[in-house]
Amino acid sequence: MLALQTRGLGKTFRVKRKEAGLSGSFRSLWKPNWETKEAVRGIDLTVREGETVAFLGPNGAGKSTTIKMLTGILHPSFGEAKVLGLTPWKERERLAYRIGAVFGQKSQLWYHLPPIDTFELISRIYEMKRDEYTRRKDDLIERFELGPYLHTPVRKLSLGERMRCEIAASFLHGPRLLFMDEPTIGLDAVVKQRIRELIRERNREEGTTVFLTSHDAGDVETLCSRAVVIHHGGVLVDEPVDRMKREVLSRKIVTLKLAGHGSRAALPDIAGTRWETEEGGCRLAVDLKRTTIERVLSELVGRVGFTDVNVEDPPLEEIIKHIYGMKGEAD
Amino acid sequence: MDGESKRWAVAGRKAAAVGRIAFRHQLAYKTDFAMRGFFLLFILFVFIQLWSAAYEGDFSKSISGFTLKQIVWYLVFTEALTLAAPPLCSRIEEEVKNGDVAIRLIRPQSYAGYHFSVFASEALTRFVVHLAIGSAIAWPFVGPPSFGYGWLGLLALSAGALTVTFLLLMIVGLCAFWVEETSGLYFVLQKLQFTIGGMLLPIDLMPEWLQRVCAWLPFQAALYFPARMGVHFDSTLLVKQLAIQIGWIVLLGLAVSRMYRRGVKKLHVNGG
Repeated sequence: MLALQTRGLGKTFRVKRKEAGLSGSFRSLWKPNWETKEAVRGIDLTVREGETVAFLGPNGAGKSTTIKMLTGILHPSFGEAKVLGLTPWKERERLAYRIGAVFGQKSQLWYHLPPIDTFELISRIYEMKRDEYTRRKDDLIERFELGPYLHTPVRKLSLGERMRCEIAASFLHGPRLLFMDEPTIGLDAVVKQRIRELIRERNREEGTTVFLTSHDAGDVETLCSRAVVIHHGGVLVDEPVDRMKREVLSRKIVTLKLAGHGSRAALPDIAGTRWETEEGGCRLAVDLKRTTIERVLSELVGRVGFTDVNVEDPPLEEIIKHIYGMKGEAD
Repeated sequence: MDGESKRWAVAGRKAAAVGRIAFRHQLAYKTDFAMRGFFLLFILFVFIQLWSAAYEGDFSKSISGFTLKQIVWYLVFTEALTLAAPPLCSRIEEEVKNGDVAIRLIRPQSYAGYHFSVFASEALTRFVVHLAIGSAIAWPFVGPPSFGYGWLGLLALSAGALTVTFLLLMIVGLCAFWVEETSGLYFVLQKLQFTIGGMLLPIDLMPEWLQRVCAWLPFQAALYFPARMGVHFDSTLLVKQLAIQIGWIVLLGLAVSRMYRRGVKKLHVNGG
């Protein structure tokens, strides 16, 4: 069954264009210059129930606007969409019972009250039966390890603790489809990994469809089976993450903090890698199709003096830029 | 229970749940409560001095049917109602500006219904607290509020008065769906409530032509009706004023509903 389907879904906004300076401000008062901005340009998308889809793109590509149209928050300017069989902007309240949403930069928890109070409110708003609420709440508290801070006011929680509560709250009413807009933004690596595991587990155990936007390649790799990349408001790539991984996520970045006065000239050339110098250290771009991290590190040890080393994914922006390059749309 | 009644019952239960959590949430703002309480004491003290001078300290003198005691208690009631209203316009404006409106709209609950629950919960609590504070200063200066069934009249009309206030604020707040700045509109609304709403002065004391204008506006239903009924109980008038309040609630409710339906199509949610 389809979780969602869109046909030519798009959204335009009217924005006031203002010239710089005081005279520009006065001119804008008397003669405003409006222009139409196309935030989403006719997206065609189909997601089946149980899928985990990463919805990617640079800032301003229209990811959040698309999610807001699919959750019924925004009305589209043109096109059609069905989410779990309903038209989101026409049947917003009915759809709300079946979906959940996490906005990484916005909180649904009541700031001065402990998370348990928001859980209780959600159970009432979603008309959950008492025994069903107790069962789901206890399960989520155990799985998300919320016990120690369930009765602590939200304002006293760390970002990681709060995000765990936010995500657990979104799963409480048993949504069939969960929209997540940058759920791991601002979190440290350990918390990110834990949150990814928990979402993955919910997807596996309850079959919840996950539709996620993120700027973190780790979220895409760990959580999603399919990636949709949009650019300038339209779909650019729609393919399985495994294939994308082979083609474009096949790079790692090794960052070294050189010991003493190490210079670029003294660094050895290693097959399948490329050196990129940066202030205070060196970055080694590793092509995993040609070599392995293990081989690269063993070559580095003993040949290069360094005080610290860090292995990470390239930023998602870089990956997307690479995709644009492959599609012949590079800047 | 038919479909429509069931729908209203469900909406009522959701509203009660939001009201309960909003009540507990506002208890965190103790400083805000204390500041408003102090301001109320101060402003009522000033008014008591002004009106005592106007009546020349004569408790038997009557101006347009109001004795000094009645006018002071009238002001206690209007101030308690005015300061009871939470800053709804700025809340909606902020929700639109920072994008938090998205959190409200992903819930299976009416947007206006959610705000009404929060407003009612906060306004009723504040109203009771302000009445207590106002009584603490009015009682020693002008004596107890012994106005027969006046308290009953005040309470009967206060629920409708706060609902009319909510709807007026909601209309201004919803303008944020079109224009991001509503403080100018709110300023005008507030001043209209202060003047032709009868907050500073009972409408009976205004020129007759202005009283006729006020009769056609909703502002008197939000402040003047309950405060005047509190000091001048009249059962026939109570029924008439309740009917007028209901009329305004229906009319303003329709306006809010229409504005919301049109505004939500225009909505542009900011930030991520």
